[in-house]
Amino acid sequence: MPISILPPQPAQSRLPPDPDSDHDDEKVTLNEDGDFVRMASSQKRPKAISIVTPGEIVTSDPQWMRGHGTYLLQSKDSTTDGSGSDAEMEDGADTAAVGGSGGGSIVATVAGTVQKVNKLLSVKPLRARYAPEIGDLVVGRIMEVQSKRWKVDINSTLTAHLLLSSINLPGGILRKRTSTDELQIRSFFSEGDLLVAEVQGLFQDGAASLHTRSLKYGKLRNGYFLKVKAGGIVRGKSHIITLEAANGAGEVDVILGVNGYVWVSKKVTLQAPPGGESITRLEEEASEAIYSNVNEDIAPATRREIARIGNCVRAMVSWNVRVDEEVLNAVYLSALELEEMGIDGEGSIGSGVEYLEGEVGRIVVLAGMDRVSSANLRAGGMVE
Amino acid sequence: MSRYEILSPEGLRTDGRRWNEMRRFSPKMATTTAADGSSYIEHGNTKVICSVNGPIEPRASSARNSERATITVDVCFAAFSGTDRKKRGKGDKRVLEMQSALSRTFASTLLTILHPRSEVHISLHILSQDGSILATCVNAATLALVDAGVPMTDYVTACTVASYTNPDESDEPLLDMNSAEEMDLPGITLATVGRNDKISLLQLETKVRLERLEGMMAVGIDGCAKIRQLLDRAVRDHGNEMARMGAL
Repeated sequence: MPISILPPQPAQSRLPPDPDSDHDDEKVTLNEDGDFVRMASSQKRPKAISIVTPGEIVTSDPQWMRGHGTYLLQSKDSTTDGSGSDAEMEDGADTAAVGGSGGGSIVATVAGTVQKVNKLLSVKPLRARYAPEIGDLVVGRIMEVQSKRWKVDINSTLTAHLLLSSINLPGGILRKRTSTDELQIRSFFSEGDLLVAEVQGLFQDGAASLHTRSLKYGKLRNGYFLKVKAGGIVRGKSHIITLEAANGAGEVDVILGVNGYVWVSKKVTLQAPPGGESITRLEEEASEAIYSNVNEDIAPATRREIARIGNCVRAMVSWNVRVDEEVLNAVYLSALELEEMGIDGEGSIGSGVEYLEGEVGRIVVLAGMDRVSSANLRAGGMVE
Repeated sequence: MSRYEILSPEGLRTDGRRWNEMRRFSPKMATTTAADGSSYIEHGNTKVICSVNGPIEPRASSARNSERATITVDVCFAAFSGTDRKKRGKGDKRVLEMQSALSRTFASTLLTILHPRSEVHISLHILSQDGSILATCVNAATLALVDAGVPMTDYVTACTVASYTNPDESDEPLLDMNSAEEMDLPGITLATVGRNDKISLLQLETKVRLERLEGMMAVGIDGCAKIRQLLDRAVRDHGNEMARMGAL
């Protein structure tokens, strides 16, 4: 027998069958791309998803333009395409306009699902590294400090750049950037620092240029970094979520980087100094603290809840649930409930219930989904 | 001649196969989550693990090319993989040759132009050797690259063919050599791209009569097409499994 490398099989579900589970069918919304918005149980998923593999001809119909994940194979000189093939291997997005006219076939270059947007045909790979897009919120780590820029690891094919001119300098927004700032560039970010930023632009080769010119962005502290798979966090309305943590832990911020990097931290409130009420004053005060490397005092209860929320995010991603504020909150409440009653309903579990891998994670995520759907029903039968 | 017969009068080889039969081929995809793409292939008793990282920022500046992605390959023979325990160092000539053959093969098939200034790193670990090692490495790397989502024109698949001389001086190609056959017979390693018989790698380490080469290549191309089917099925199974789990 060949050696089999298999993921651990989930044990039999310990949740009783939900009598209301019929509602799930309505909750599962599959948008056109085959991206699903709410978790579906495996049996209910339609069989419509079809996989294409590299070298497979997707279509020979000349009406389609080729997008990402495809290339155009000239049907006439298919035996001698070695020499001329480089010219047509440019990326789909920019040469797509000429794609349809050649009379060749569109061939997949990655294994994945076919997506059709108007007349643009692209193949979304099963798994790939994060590809930055303008406006994405990302969490990154400084890899390298150069004279006027930082190189930031954002889990992408190339490291991103963060220019000294695209950060907020301490001492107010209107301050001029001087050569002193260049000399003490490490006082803002040094190697290994974590930061949250937005993708400001893309270079020719696909590398991202970041900026942190907002009070929302900047250096990260007081928290916990975790990495999930790059497709696990879907672009959504808001990527910075504030949860009210239980057990007197206060508020916890969750920053969901589109690149799969997640930061869970204690919420830091910027206290307005006595007397200074103006916004600019607040900004100045904030910017003083922006580049601090010192964590605040975090109570053990807060640390526990930070860990639990981090594990909730991890469990949701590993069970393919879209992470957003509503669902994360529900899953977190379910995780708390699970701790109260214990995994087997005995309440006898001491430590380690923040750990949500495997079957426990699935139970918690499912319970959270139920919570969301029942809340939606109560809100008047509205779906989503 | 050797002590045992490579091909018996009944037309059976030492392990009971006929001339056109391949050993059991079992590919596995996405075997580890630590790498961007990974695979594990057993071809008879030859076992190879492959993991692919990339496209990533090049680790060495020499691997940076402003036009296209660079493909770097690491081949590592486990000390216990062969019949006698021996450690092959990084500088071993045979290992270096395999690495360069693999990186050149994939450089011609991957769409490296889509990811300039980056590096695709392929790491191969040979756990057990029983012939056709380079071919199995090519197949494992292809599967891992598909898993990593690196764009390629088509699958690259490889197999080996030996040329056997009958007692009456006629010749017979033998598909998919094991290590005993590799030791005694001249043979080629052949890799093709996709279904259209495009050969991207042809390696001949021994002497073989020129008129035999064409027949060997024809058998090898058929073998590669068969392996392409098997790899394609593995990819589809994996994709359908992901779809079933709701990951798509």
